[in-house]
Amino acid sequence: MTAPPPAAPCCHADGLASAPYDAERELARELTQLRRKVSVAVVLTALVMLSSLPFLPSWFTSPWTQLILTTPVLFWCGRGFFSGAASAFRQHSADMNTLVAAGTGIAWLTSLFSTVFPQLLIAEGLPADVYYEVAAVILTMVLLGNLLEARARGQTSEAIRRLLQLQPPTARVLRNGKPVQIPVSQLVVGDLVQVRPGEKLPTDGVVSEGSSWVEESMLTGEPTPVAKAAGDAVIGASMNRSGSFSFRVSRVGADTVLAQIVELVRQAQSSRTRVQRVADQVVSWFAPAVIALAIAAFVIWFLLSGNPVLSMLFLVSVLVIACPCALGLATPTSIMVASGKGAENGLIFRSAEALETAGTLRTIVLDKTGTLTRGQPEVTQFERLPGGALPADSLLALTAALESRSEHPLAEAIVAYANSQLEPGDLPAVTDFEAVAGLGVQGVIDGQQVLVGTPRWFPELGIDTAALQPLVERLEGLACSVAAVVVDGRLEACFGVADPLKPSSAAAVAALRRLGLQVVMLSGDARRTAEVVAAEVGIERVIAEVRPADKASVVARLQEQGEGPVAMVGDGINDAPALAQADVGLAMGTGTDVAIAASDITLISGNLAGVPAAIELSRHTMANIRQNLFFAFAYNVAGIPIAAGVLFPLTGWLLSPMLAGAAMAFSSVSVVSNALRLRRFRPTPLPVAAS
Amino acid sequence: MSSLLAAVASNGEPLWRTIQQPLALKLAVAAGGLALIAAQLWWFLGRHGHAAVASEGERGLQEITITVDGGYSPARIRLKAGQPVRLTFHRLDPSSCVAQVIVPDFRRSLDLPLNGRTSLELPAMQPGEYPFHCGMAMVRGVLEVV
Repeated sequence: MTAPPPAAPCCHADGLASAPYDAERELARELTQLRRKVSVAVVLTALVMLSSLPFLPSWFTSPWTQLILTTPVLFWCGRGFFSGAASAFRQHSADMNTLVAAGTGIAWLTSLFSTVFPQLLIAEGLPADVYYEVAAVILTMVLLGNLLEARARGQTSEAIRRLLQLQPPTARVLRNGKPVQIPVSQLVVGDLVQVRPGEKLPTDGVVSEGSSWVEESMLTGEPTPVAKAAGDAVIGASMNRSGSFSFRVSRVGADTVLAQIVELVRQAQSSRTRVQRVADQVVSWFAPAVIALAIAAFVIWFLLSGNPVLSMLFLVSVLVIACPCALGLATPTSIMVASGKGAENGLIFRSAEALETAGTLRTIVLDKTGTLTRGQPEVTQFERLPGGALPADSLLALTAALESRSEHPLAEAIVAYANSQLEPGDLPAVTDFEAVAGLGVQGVIDGQQVLVGTPRWFPELGIDTAALQPLVERLEGLACSVAAVVVDGRLEACFGVADPLKPSSAAAVAALRRLGLQVVMLSGDARRTAEVVAAEVGIERVIAEVRPADKASVVARLQEQGEGPVAMVGDGINDAPALAQADVGLAMGTGTDVAIAASDITLISGNLAGVPAAIELSRHTMANIRQNLFFAFAYNVAGIPIAAGVLFPLTGWLLSPMLAGAAMAFSSVSVVSNALRLRRFRPTPLPVAAS
Repeated sequence: MSSLLAAVASNGEPLWRTIQQPLALKLAVAAGGLALIAAQLWWFLGRHGHAAVASEGERGLQEITITVDGGYSPARIRLKAGQPVRLTFHRLDPSSCVAQVIVPDFRRSLDLPLNGRTSLELPAMQPGEYPFHCGMAMVRGVLEVV
């Protein structure tokens, strides 16, 4: 299969906010109309069925009375089926409406014929029976089915509706130094918004004053409130708990986290699973095939029995039992419910295919830094070496000067450590700066050649690291990454930098293993450091000393070795190529960036517990889809032959066309109801970590 | 349900009656049935007419209006590769089935208000066929990019 072209840019801000509400209003209008039609149809149909009882006055049981009662059921209550069938016919297409209109129309026309010309049938030796009740009951059943289905369908998009309702309608902003209440749509970037305890945040921004605890669970799935102080990012629709604060608006309208989540969920709901593409193919030729079978049943029964009335009943049964709707609804309804459910738990699936593949994963690769660990390394050890000549503070100043030019997370930790040890002041100037990817940095400071990097780097530069070895082993045993400092070819000191584990990491890894996945840890650290971290979280397989650029090829190698489908969990920016290479790329969000381009699934909260939850949700969804497809296929495959009278010669059992209509009406209801069971999905809770 | 079944059982007996029909009538019914099957298959599944060609506006934007009434008219649209497209849907059909149109290859969906015109812009495409359909995939159309 060719990769789909990239999704087009998001639609307009107003379109995003208003569209779901329009759809909702329309659904409500449709429901009201359907209810009215169903009530009328039920009353009239009940009267038609009563008229077959023997003790009623003859005017009531007359075919003419039944004609008068049935006609409005078909052509007022069921008007939509006939007009829909007619316009579909003009467009060379046949659908549900065609089948219902043809089935009930034929029963009505046959009955009309025997009402008007009974003597013609009697002359042929046939009873001049009428089948108005068949037409009326089928139509009422299908209408009732439509009503139930429309109601259930409304519930499938409930998650998006709830998300949109999270946003408060107004915001209190400072305008000309005075607080004023304005509609959220009038907010602009840069506005200063005040938030009081218990209020919802109207949009995204950065706290400028005050502090508070904010509950983001409705967006990130994270249950615990998050502390917010000046400089922290806040997201719209989250709930302020106790404090008061004001924040500077950074994003409005379609750019906000909430709007992006809604847009991503809608995109996922618009995509198709691979299995649905097959079902779609079937649906496209389904109705014409059923019409052909129905005519064939008529012809065969006419040849066998010579009885046109019996043949007509088989024809009608076949037309009304077939239900292409159930097939068409089987996957999209489950995907709708599941992607909404994902969003509720802070899991954003980018496509139906991601939802489909996540459950089949066999290997999951976890990037260490930022995924298993907090991604904020700290210097825990600073050790001088025996051969060193420089005093500690000038050594720290040299190291900090060099490392401040680097963007490596270890460098940031070392700079932060040096700054905490040194008197505030200017750092010496660096010339000839060079960063060697995955190994370290070098430069010239005050005429001295300074190198900071991994001990692995130095032997190839001809620097003897024998004195360093015991220290490196000790630090790596403490799960530290080691960076050594070399000045003019002389080993001076080394830093042990540790990146603390996230509290949920071990429990999430255990949950992944319980789900039957092979868990692999990927790290740029030295093998021993990586193994210590892996042991702490319970991972046995470690691929260490991987340079950032090689992560994608590690994933590719696992795929080639037949360990796939392989998932990669990473931070979405440095790991983008690996995420794209993996069968499913999961990006750890930070709560404020949602649309991480390379990922198939975004975990908004950045909590690793979302990974097993996503896999569980995918497995539940795919099981649900398989049940739906099975119901829909098995129902049609079994129902159509029975309706065509295959069993009749053997058992004498004739499926009433009315029952056929009822079965059809409820098969799509059952598919939608089954999909709605996914609303009850809850990820298995992880045991709370001891730390 | 059981009352319905009972009704059938009591009616069932007189229904199952073999009637001698002249051979000519049987042959006529068989031939008529086959002809009807062939005709409806041709009507519904055969290819009818040519694909509609989108008009070209400013900066190469291809535009076409699709009427939604029982089906998409036109349902087959020919587009040029490498140029963006604006599809405008004009929905006249009250059936909720067609209230949404989906272009799965682009992960795009669009809600169509009744009696309204709604536009969808798609980026430039590679040659190929890109289907679009209603929420349940019963009503279908295709973009033919050449």
